Amino acid sequence: MRVGLRLQGTSCRTVVLDGRAVVSAAREVLGGSLPEALESSLSGLRREFGSGITEITADVGRVLAERKLADVVAIRVSPRPPADAFHVTVLPPLVEPAVTRTVHVGGGHDLRGRPLVRLDLEAFLADLPGILSSGARNVAITSVGSTASKEHETRIADAILSSDRDMRISISSDFYSSVFRDRDYTAILNSALMETGEELAAMLEEGGRRHFPAALLSFGKNDGGRAPLSRLALAPVHGLYAEPAMAILGAAALAGIPEGEVILCTEAGASVGHTRGGLPAARSLIRQGFDASLASNAAILEPYTVHHTVRPDIPSVIADLRERPETALPFGLVPTLPAAQEAALVGLAAAPLTAWIDRLETVSGRAALQLVQNRAEEDAHSAAVQLGASPGHTNIIESNVYAMPYGNPGIVRIRVQAAGETYGIGEHTLPAATLGATP
Amino acid sequence: MSTVLTTEDVRNLRTGAHFLTCTIDPTAIYVYAEMIQRAMEDRSVELVTVDELAPDDLVVAVGMVTQGLFIADMPPVGDEFLGCIRAIEASLGRPVRAIYSLAAANINGIVPLMVGLQSSLPVIDSDPMGRVFPLISQTTLSIGNVAIGPIALMGATGERAVVEVESPQRAETLVRALVTELGGWAATAMYPCSAQQLKEHGVHGSITRMIRIGQILDADTPVEGKLLMLAELLGTTRIARARVNHIESLSRPTDLGLPAQPSSLTLDDETTGRIIRLEIQNEILLVLVDGAVTAAVPDMVTLLNSEQGTVVNIDDVQVGDVVDILKITAAAQWYTEAGLDLTEPKAFGIPIAHPRRPHA
Repeated sequence: MRVGLRLQGTSCRTVVLDGRAVVSAAREVLGGSLPEALESSLSGLRREFGSGITEITADVGRVLAERKLADVVAIRVSPRPPADAFHVTVLPPLVEPAVTRTVHVGGGHDLRGRPLVRLDLEAFLADLPGILSSGARNVAITSVGSTASKEHETRIADAILSSDRDMRISISSDFYSSVFRDRDYTAILNSALMETGEELAAMLEEGGRRHFPAALLSFGKNDGGRAPLSRLALAPVHGLYAEPAMAILGAAALAGIPEGEVILCTEAGASVGHTRGGLPAARSLIRQGFDASLASNAAILEPYTVHHTVRPDIPSVIADLRERPETALPFGLVPTLPAAQEAALVGLAAAPLTAWIDRLETVSGRAALQLVQNRAEEDAHSAAVQLGASPGHTNIIESNVYAMPYGNPGIVRIRVQAAGETYGIGEHTLPAATLGATP
Repeated sequence: MSTVLTTEDVRNLRTGAHFLTCTIDPTAIYVYAEMIQRAMEDRSVELVTVDELAPDDLVVAVGMVTQGLFIADMPPVGDEFLGCIRAIEASLGRPVRAIYSLAAANINGIVPLMVGLQSSLPVIDSDPMGRVFPLISQTTLSIGNVAIGPIALMGATGERAVVEVESPQRAETLVRALVTELGGWAATAMYPCSAQQLKEHGVHGSITRMIRIGQILDADTPVEGKLLMLAELLGTTRIARARVNHIESLSRPTDLGLPAQPSSLTLDDETTGRIIRLEIQNEILLVLVDGAVTAAVPDMVTLLNSEQGTVVNIDDVQVGDVVDILKITAAAQWYTEAGLDLTEPKAFGIPIAHPRRPHA
């Protein structure tokens, strides 16, 4: 049995799935503190289900969002610093107050991975004692061209860790975007969340191990997949916006549609997502208007409009997630799923382990392209297995190649998603065909 | 009449520059629009028509040339264009009186506003493309035999070059090679000419057109209403409302030194059953409907979200998306024999003559 667990404030809410069946409807436990609520929730589950619980996946997004961001030192590596105030990278209002200091280091690479200028490590090492003595514990490093080479980011990180092994460092090459400000924003936000991520991971690990020593503990990700709890301390940003993805996945799981359209109705309005290969269709950026985008693979959920095309040939589910569903839904929508309010918790319990490969490759033609795509698919498969998925139950969900507009003619972007389960296909929460599909 | 642009104009221009860019990722446009709006808090930028300048005034095109790293991945530090203008002035021994956009879309549609703010030079409401093309030789000034050089370049590393060159095609080769080594993009100043030459051979009303497009697209108007207003302003026609069913990269061979690889989209028009194929290389070059050429470069083709009426980024296109495919006729110069020689599909390696070429 698998548990979907949402943390918020000083409460925990859970759903238990056995295969595709909900065996324990949503329960909320309120405590004097979050650890107290978690302890009470887990002990209740142990009393009821004992060792039958094999996997627990937690949605930590609400807790991450409600905590104050930690202070961050932003290190930007580029050939030259901005020459005037207008050309300084502007951060979204959410993270701007968290940056206590910005440090420029000469360096960076071009799209071929060649250094644009030599990394000015000597100047950085001269600044480092001042950075460390300021009490900063969190650092974000973003280098020009780090999608092609992360050498300068890792050398700066190594220099910091050589002086202080306990610093929390987030490097931008861990997040794919061809836009400097997106990676910079993502690395800063990730760094600012790492302390909370560590704390949540430790709390869930401690409680989970005590009550369910054999269970696999994970956190839900923005793409509708999950990752082992240990990753939460390193990449909490991937768990920040998991709830919409889990709602899509949960509604699709309850309706049994691995390929189709999911319409979610909340107090905020109606929105549309899709499932492909049993997972929410995802995009590599969370766009935020004209501000920097968050470089995290996330489910696509767009507003439902009066112009929405109804396609009878595509399976569709309409889920009413409102807390008070007394009034009619907008646009004349009629729910097709009874009692769907806890779809996001069901999605959490159903989420597979997911891994992404998103990188640039140099190719000379179709044969070379096929080769690098095959290699990326193998790497994505391996990455999912390293997260804990069973090799026999891991499949490629998405595999795409993108041309780079106005880029070097021989360089393409390869993007692959793999998803897997830890156990036999018969226990999948979605129909067996789901995770075997490769669009 | 000269006009002092407002931050509202910049917001609209941002949308218009994106619309005419035929679906390229707009992040660099957004970054520039944000910088310009901040700079406008204590400075102003003047938009002038070419008629307001003295015929002999020296004017120069400013724009980014890219070949590799994205502008948004290595933002300019801010001194590049000023350095280029100084280099042109030093080379020609005359002061530059005004600047104009190298292209009337994408980042080069908006960059001159920042340069105008920094330099206090007026920005001319004209350009040499009337849209955007990937090659610096693909200009109406080139058709008019206006010299492309000297060309001043400066990359984000601070390294710079001045290329003394006459042939636009040779300039393309030299500049592209330099840009690669400068890191992937370079700020450039090129096509220094008299205001009279720009008046005779340029495309006019470029900036105001982008602003007007933005006013239409950013308004709270239903999609069909926006399409009608775009048709009135630009003569836009909707080729189809269709659903993406296949995306293919490296879909055609390429060996012409053009930036970026070719890719293709196949869509279904679910109302009529027609199959639509888009051939893409930086921009949408060709639209085939059931195999027949319906639009071909230099025609402009762009995509709008069928529900929101917003511009679709090619990076965000997914199988299953429904888009409106719009065709916009380019500037008249592009449909002359010389214009088609430079920009019809054959110039991009697609062995198809433009339907408007005589005896095509």
